[in-house]
Amino acid sequence: MLNPLPPDRWDRAKAAHLLNRAGFGGPPGQVDALHKLGLASAVRSLVEGPAQMEPAIPPAWAKPQDLAARREMVQDMAALTANQNERQQIQRDFGKKMRREEIGQVRDLGIWWLERMRTTRDPLLEKLTLFWHGHFATSVQKVRNAYWMWLQNDTFRRNARGHFGALVKAVSRDPAMIIWLDLRESRPSHPNENFARELMELFTLGEGHYTEKDVTESARAFTGYRLNPREQTFRWAAFEHDKGEKEVLGGRGNFDGDAVIDLILAKPECARFITKKIWEFFVAENPEPKLLDTLTETFRLCDYEMRPLLMRIFASEEFYAANAVGTQIKSPIHWLVSTARTFETDYPSPFVLYFAMRQLGQIVFNPPSVKGWDGGKAWISTSTLLARYNLAGLFVETQTGPLLEGIQRAVRDLGFDAMDAEPPSVHMPDAGPANVAKFVSAEMRADPARLVDGLARRIFAVPAPGRERQAFLDFLATKPMPIDDATVRSLLHLMMSTPRFQLC
Amino acid sequence: MHDHESTDTPRTLQTRRAFLRTSLLGAAAAWTLPAFIDKTFLTLNAMAADSAIQVATGKDSPILVVLQLAGGNDGLNTLVPFADDAYRKARPLLGIPADRVLKLNDSLGLHPALAPLKALYDKGRVGIIQGVGYPNPNRSHFRSTEIWQTASDAKENRGYGWLGSYFDNCCAGADPTVGVAIGGIAPQAFAAKQPTGINFARPEQFRWINYDKAKGRMGASEYFFRELNQPGEIAADLASMLGGGDAAGEAGGSVQAIGGAPAPGGSAFDFLERTALDAQVSSDKVLAIARRTKPLVAYPPGRLSESLSLVGRMIAGGLPTRVYYVSLGGFDTHQNQTPAHERLMGELGGALGAFAADLEAQGNFDRVMLITFSEFGRRVAQNASGGTDHGAAAPMFVMGGHVKAGLHGKAPSLTQLFQGDLMHSTDFRSVYASVLEQWLHVPSETVLGRKFSPLALI
Repeated sequence: MLNPLPPDRWDRAKAAHLLNRAGFGGPPGQVDALHKLGLASAVRSLVEGPAQMEPAIPPAWAKPQDLAARREMVQDMAALTANQNERQQIQRDFGKKMRREEIGQVRDLGIWWLERMRTTRDPLLEKLTLFWHGHFATSVQKVRNAYWMWLQNDTFRRNARGHFGALVKAVSRDPAMIIWLDLRESRPSHPNENFARELMELFTLGEGHYTEKDVTESARAFTGYRLNPREQTFRWAAFEHDKGEKEVLGGRGNFDGDAVIDLILAKPECARFITKKIWEFFVAENPEPKLLDTLTETFRLCDYEMRPLLMRIFASEEFYAANAVGTQIKSPIHWLVSTARTFETDYPSPFVLYFAMRQLGQIVFNPPSVKGWDGGKAWISTSTLLARYNLAGLFVETQTGPLLEGIQRAVRDLGFDAMDAEPPSVHMPDAGPANVAKFVSAEMRADPARLVDGLARRIFAVPAPGRERQAFLDFLATKPMPIDDATVRSLLHLMMSTPRFQLC
Repeated sequence: MHDHESTDTPRTLQTRRAFLRTSLLGAAAAWTLPAFIDKTFLTLNAMAADSAIQVATGKDSPILVVLQLAGGNDGLNTLVPFADDAYRKARPLLGIPADRVLKLNDSLGLHPALAPLKALYDKGRVGIIQGVGYPNPNRSHFRSTEIWQTASDAKENRGYGWLGSYFDNCCAGADPTVGVAIGGIAPQAFAAKQPTGINFARPEQFRWINYDKAKGRMGASEYFFRELNQPGEIAADLASMLGGGDAAGEAGGSVQAIGGAPAPGGSAFDFLERTALDAQVSSDKVLAIARRTKPLVAYPPGRLSESLSLVGRMIAGGLPTRVYYVSLGGFDTHQNQTPAHERLMGELGGALGAFAADLEAQGNFDRVMLITFSEFGRRVAQNASGGTDHGAAAPMFVMGGHVKAGLHGKAPSLTQLFQGDLMHSTDFRSVYASVLEQWLHVPSETVLGRKFSPLALI
C-alpha cells in the first residue's frame, strides 16, 4: 500500500494530474516543467513550496480596528442629541454603514483569495488552505467581520502544511471560530458545547468515537476563550476558565483546551478521520479500509506532520491509479481558478467572478454550514452544469452579449445582498476573453487534427477520446481554412462545454 | 464560411446529423427521449418499498408555488389591525387609516393596494395565517432567510433547504424540473443532498449560450454541443435503432433501448453525461413551452407579474413541476415606507390576482397552492425616518382552488411584545408541515426532521 510509483511510469499526464490535485492545474509549460523534474523532485517541489513563503499581501483594509472605540464614538455622537429619534437614526446609519462596508470587504476578500490562487507560485499551499477552510468551515454570515475572516484564512495558510495539532490549537484560538461556534459565550457556570461538539464530531474524531460526556467535559476545558475587540485579537481570560478536574476520553485531570486536543490526537481514530478526508479531497472518494490503515499509520508515525503525509500520498501508485486520474469533479473554485490558469488569462471581472461563485454553489468565506461543502456529485445539477458551460464562454469566447446581461440582471435582483456594498477595491482589469493567438500557431491553424490535439493537450493533458475528438474535428470541418480566432474560440467553448472538462 | 449542410461534408457526418436531428432536435418529441426513463423505472421499484417516494405525473399532480417577499415585509401594514389603539399609537405616521383598509372583519383589514387579493379572499380562495414566526427570532436578513429556507431552529445551522429535503426524500428519480426557481440563482430552499431542480430568470437563458451563429439556423457549435452532451450508449443505441429502419425510434421503442439502469453510485463521468443530457432535455422542454404558450389573461406590469406569468405558462405547458419558487424584493423599508410599501402591495396584489385568473382560465387553479413568506415582519413602532426596522412575526398568505379560506391562527398582541416585536403564535414549520401533508401528501416529519403540529389549510 502507498508504494512509490516506479520512476519509469512517470510521464507528462501524471505530472498534469499532480498539478491538478496538488494545485489548480496550469498551462502546458508548467506541466512540462514539473514532468522534467521527475516524480520525487516534482512532489517535493510542490509539498515544500518555494524556499520562502510567498508574501501574502492582504487587502488594504485587512488590519485590526478598534471595534469598541467605533461603537463608543457612535454612542458619543448619539449622546449629543436629546431627541430619541435622532439618536436612533445615528445608530441606524452607523449600522448600515458597517453592513455596507462588511459586504464589500467580504466580496473583496473572496476575489483577493481567488486572485492569489490564480497567480501563486505555491499552489499546494492555497489548495491546502481551501481544504482547511472547508474542514473548519466558518461563515462570515455569523462572524460579520471581514478582517476576522482574513485572519482565519491567514491562520489556515500559516499552519496548512505543518503539524495538524498546532493547527487545531490555533483554530481554537481563532477569533472567527470563537464567534462562529459560540466559544466566547462559554463560561464555567454555563459551558457552551457547540465548539467542543464540532471539534470532536467534525474537526478531529468523527461521530461514534466520543461520548456525550466527553463533549460536556471538554466544553468546560474550553472556557476562558475570549476576544479583545480593541485589537481584534484572541484574549485568554484566566478568571473565566474552569480550572476544575475533567474526565475526557478516558483521561482525568485539570485539562485546558490544548490538553483536550492532545488527548484527541492520541486516539488513532483522529488520524484515520483526517487522513480519510485528505485522501477524499486530493485523490478519490471511498478509500479502501486497508489503504486507510496505511494512511493512518503514516500520519501517526510522522506525528501528525502534514508534509511527510502529503509527500507519501502524491508519490504513491494509488494516487496515479486509473480510478483517481480524471475522476474528480472540479469544485467551483477549482473550475474557476484552473480555467484561468490553463488559458493564462485573468478572470472575466470581479463582478462576474463573485456571481459565478454564487451560481456554481461555492462562495469562499461562506460555506453552507459548519459541515462545509458536500462536494463531488453535489456540485452538479442541471442548472449548475449549464452555468459552467455558459461561464466557459466568458473565459474564451466573448465577454459581452446576452449572458453578461443576464448576469447583470441577476446581480441586481440579489438586492440587499450584493449591490448595497461599496464597489470592489481589489484591482482587477476587465481583461476580455483569453488571448488565443498566444497559444495557437500557424501550423495548428492549418491542420485541424493538430489544433484539436494541441488544445486537448492544454485542456485535458491527454488527447480527447475518439468520439469527442471526432466531434471536434467534425465541427472544424464546417469551418473555413485556415482556422481563424473566432473558430478557435468556438472550439474551445465547445471543448469546455462537455462532461470531461468538469473532471480533473 | 460554408454552411454545414453543404454537399462536401463527409458522409459519416451527414449520417450522424440525420440521426441527431430526428432524435434530439427534431419535433416536440425531442424531449420524450428521456434520461429519466430508467430513473422512472427505478422510482417505480422504490415506490413499492417506500410510500414517501412520489413521481411527478405531470398533468394532475398538485403544484406548490412559494413566493418570497425578500427584505422583511411589514406584516402590520399588510394585514392591518385597524381597530387596535396600540396600532395607531405605535404608528402615528405610518398607520393606515381605518377608512382606507379593506376590511375582513371589524378588527382586521388588508392594505388598500391589495384589492385583487381581497376579492379572492371574498371568493374563498385565500387564507391568511396570522402571527407566523419562530422562537428566538433573528433580525439579520441573511440569517433569518436561511432559517426560513432551511426550516431550522434559530440556533441551528442546516445546509439543506426544506424543499431540497422534500426533493431528496420524496421525489427521487423525478425529472429535474420537479423544482423550478425563477431567478438567476437557486434559492437555498432548494439546496439538497442530491441537487435537483432548475432555475432561470428568463427561459431563453436556460440554454447553452454560444456565439457561433449561422444565419437563421442553429450554428455548428450548438449541433456538436448536443452530440457531445449525451451518454455514449444512448447515441449508440439510437444509431443502431435508426440504422435498423425503425423510423419511430424516438418514441416508444427507445424506452427499451435505453432501459439498462446505471449502477447506483456510478462513475462521475457517467453522472455528468446523464446530467448534461438532463440539462439539454429540460432546456428544450422549457424553451418549447415558452415558445408555444402565452398567458391567458393580461398581467399588470412589474417583475413579480413577469415571474408569475412565466410560472403560469410552465404550468399550462405541462412541465412536470411540483414546486415553483418566485421572489419579490424591496421590502426592507427603513425609510419613507408609505409610498414604497404601497407600490409593493400593489405589485403583489395585482400579480396574484392575475395569476389566479390565469390559472382559472387554464382550468388549473385547483391544482395550485401558493404560499407567501418573508424572513421577518417589522417593528411595531415606526422609526424616525418614516419607516420600520427589522421585526419578527408576520402573516403568510395561502392561495389556491382548494385552500381553506379565511383567517388562521391567532392575531398577535400589539401590547405584549418581546423586545418591541410581535410574538409569533404559529411556527412557520407548522405551515410547512401542513403544506407537505395536506397538499403534497408526504410525511412532513421525513422532510422537516421533526413533527410540527399542522394547521387545517385545506
